Amino acid sequence: MRKLFLFSHFVAISVLILSCHSSYQAKSVQYKDYRITQADAAKTSGNADIHALLKPYADSVNKSMNDEIAVAATMLEKKQPEGPLGDVLADAMLAMSKEKFNKQIDAAFMNYGGIRLSSIPPGSITRGKIFELSPFDNNIVVLKLSGKIVQQFLNHVASRNGWPCAGLSFQIKNKTAVNIVIAGKPFDEQKEYVFALPDYVANGGDDCTMFAGIPQQNIGYLLRDSILQYFFKLHKEGKQITASNENRITNAE
Amino acid sequence: MQSRRKFLQQTSLAAAALITSNSLLGETTGAADITRLTILHTNDVHSRLDPFPMDGGKNQGLGGVAARADLIKKIRSEEQHVLLLDAGDIFQGTPYFNLYKGEPEMKAMAAMNYDAVTMGNHDFDGGLENFATQLQFANFPVLLCNYDFRGTPMESKYEPYKIFNKGKLKIGVTGLGIEMKGLVPDALYGNTKYLDPVANLNRTAAMLKKEKSCDLVICLSHLGYKYGPAENKISDVLLAKETEYVDLIIGGHTHTFLDAPVLAKNKNGADILINQVGWAGIILGRLDFEFSKLKGKNLSTAHTLVVGKREAE
Repeated sequence: MRKLFLFSHFVAISVLILSCHSSYQAKSVQYKDYRITQADAAKTSGNADIHALLKPYADSVNKSMNDEIAVAATMLEKKQPEGPLGDVLADAMLAMSKEKFNKQIDAAFMNYGGIRLSSIPPGSITRGKIFELSPFDNNIVVLKLSGKIVQQFLNHVASRNGWPCAGLSFQIKNKTAVNIVIAGKPFDEQKEYVFALPDYVANGGDDCTMFAGIPQQNIGYLLRDSILQYFFKLHKEGKQITASNENRITNAE
Repeated sequence: MQSRRKFLQQTSLAAAALITSNSLLGETTGAADITRLTILHTNDVHSRLDPFPMDGGKNQGLGGVAARADLIKKIRSEEQHVLLLDAGDIFQGTPYFNLYKGEPEMKAMAAMNYDAVTMGNHDFDGGLENFATQLQFANFPVLLCNYDFRGTPMESKYEPYKIFNKGKLKIGVTGLGIEMKGLVPDALYGNTKYLDPVANLNRTAAMLKKEKSCDLVICLSHLGYKYGPAENKISDVLLAKETEYVDLIIGGHTHTFLDAPVLAKNKNGADILINQVGWAGIILGRLDFEFSKLKGKNLSTAHTLVVGKREAE
């Protein structure tokens, strides 16, 4: 009798455990993408909380970031294997590196993913825009590279469909770099070359493992500052930022 | 012995009460057995607090937290069960981050009542200590089941998963971070260890579904949607095929604008849904799931999910 009593409790408890959560299964899903537009933004004056929360930050950002650094003459787009935006940024990097490091530098490269805007429209370029373009606090570093390492790096760039560069040209063929010309001369694998790179890349970022162990010259000069200073220099000279299409990296047919 | 008997009696009374209430529910038909969950999601917002400026650029006027917050508020007022999730890269991309290191981003997300986030590679950008510090402004958990943060400032600031009770539904949410090596500078991730995403997700998801009885398992993934064949890198598309017990992957990293969520088959041939909504808060993704009561408890059944576009507004 007592055993039966306990057994019935056992059953009751088992039922309790099994039934404490009844299962549900997802049968259908409906999706929708809400595009957040300016029209929506205009209606948000009622959202006092968010506006109040952001105001002190926004005021300070606007104060320090809205000054005009340069003027873009045309739409500067980010493209692969090469595009006008990448070209002008690499030009800035090469020109300013030569000046700041005060030495001969053959070529400058930046990783494609390092450019964080897809384009700069024609017109005023503010300081804030340069921060959006190049938000990372990456320093430019200068490395002396053997021809062998240069070929490995350019193959890596080719396999990733081309990165912004200045001072050299090559073609992409079967994911490798061919017909390389550096500082106006055909590439010689027996020679050494001096490259300016973001420290992110030189330290192995974007899987650039070929630079491991190679000494870097680092003067604490930010890549972003090279862009700001180069653009501002052109601006003071009365020049606008324009696209140059120099076929630095092209796809071999 | 007396107290033990008393305990058993009380338990059996409670059990009886539960059985009764369950059988009562069981008698109701149709609509009462259908329950809804609305998932709202973002990824790779990258410090885009303001809309893109009206400067003639491709994205001019799009995005911005104020408009997003309004929309979220409206949807919450219309739907009973809402989860608001983010798949990482909250940080980096506008001067807000350069000047304030993520503080306004976290405060804005807290004001919108995000339920959970995972971590992206750019959330390491100010250093792991900075991310951990900025979490003081967050009111949501950071979910990761494949990073080992022991010996880092994040050690006590993340969870492998979280279970949300939404009405009768139990929703398990976990997160996956991308491999840092070759992507995040070594100095920024320090002692963080990257663990195999497939094995850790499957273990977490199996636990959520089988031991914790979750009705839906969501993975917030910063692995990226898809890579070229040469890259030999785990992505959401490859991950989905290897999973068990995961129903939905909300992705990030590759800034992929999908026209519609992608339905894939998992390891057992069951449906798994993948979605990603570009970047910069240009789009708020919405997924309305409808659930029906499961007859019997056969988790291994390869069930199918009907996917449709939400037309009504």
